[in-house]
Amino acid sequence: MRVTIKLFATFRDGRFKVEERDLPEGTCVLDLIQPLNIKPEEIAICLINGKDAKEHSVLKDGDTLALFPPVGGG
Amino acid sequence: MKLEGRYARNKKTLSDEDQLKLSNSCVAIVGCGGLGGYIAEELARIGVGRLVLIDGDRLEVSNLNRQIMSSELNIGQWKVEAARDRLQSINSEVQVEEIKGWFEEEKGPELFRGVDLVCDALDSLPTRVVLERVCHQMKLPLVFASIAGWFGQLGVSLPGDFSVLRLFGRGEQGVESTWGNPAFTPAVLASLSVAESVKLLIGRMPSLRHAWLQVDLQTMEFEQFEIQ
Repeated sequence: MRVTIKLFATFRDGRFKVEERDLPEGTCVLDLIQPLNIKPEEIAICLINGKDAKEHSVLKDGDTLALFPPVGGG
Repeated sequence: MKLEGRYARNKKTLSDEDQLKLSNSCVAIVGCGGLGGYIAEELARIGVGRLVLIDGDRLEVSNLNRQIMSSELNIGQWKVEAARDRLQSINSEVQVEEIKGWFEEEKGPELFRGVDLVCDALDSLPTRVVLERVCHQMKLPLVFASIAGWFGQLGVSLPGDFSVLRLFGRGEQGVESTWGNPAFTPAVLASLSVAESVKLLIGRMPSLRHAWLQVDLQTMEFEQFEIQ
């Protein structure tokens, strides 16, 4: 299945902004972030197709995953 | 000092009626650092009648890179006092109330008495969530903004919304602890906050309710996301 991954803010550093990946059926968010060297606790917001998702959410063909780190400074 | 024509260049962006609404409004700015300083500056310049500034910190050298209220002459001064001095020199018609202390849940009713809108310019994720809760209990609109490095987030939370909780509910600290905050990021996010604040104060619809704006100044991308 094809999944689009969109990274935001500092997650783009040394990685990418947007990429399409071929993944096996049943891949969850956690399986996908591990090779990207992103830990679950580093993620503030995780969206699949614009809706809230969790690290164990399973992706489907055509999904877009968006990951945001916490931005909390003032 | 009454300066005729002070608001001449606000027209026709703001009508006389809008200007009057602003002069009769009170905004509390929680956090008077990078974001809060610029927010206070712009709200004073545009003619908001009363500002409540809340911050328990004093100015230090590392603030000079971005905090508009800081200068080499006022290091060591309370941030809210430095802000008051600058705001008084910009617009003496604005009533400035300084609170030398940190925002806490139980202080909410006292701090926000007579306030029409709250701007979140804090630097702590958990306190942002508390601030939203207090604003909702007091039926106050909240404009929130946050920054880290080249990046920022901004939105509006009206009573009953939980935008801040959804965005900032996880974790203690953001990536600003490693990326810092350069001069331009607070200025941009503060200006966006003030634009949303002004809309709310003059009775227009804000653009970022049930949403947040993701700002990337490295790529110059501004993207809106829905909060369901």
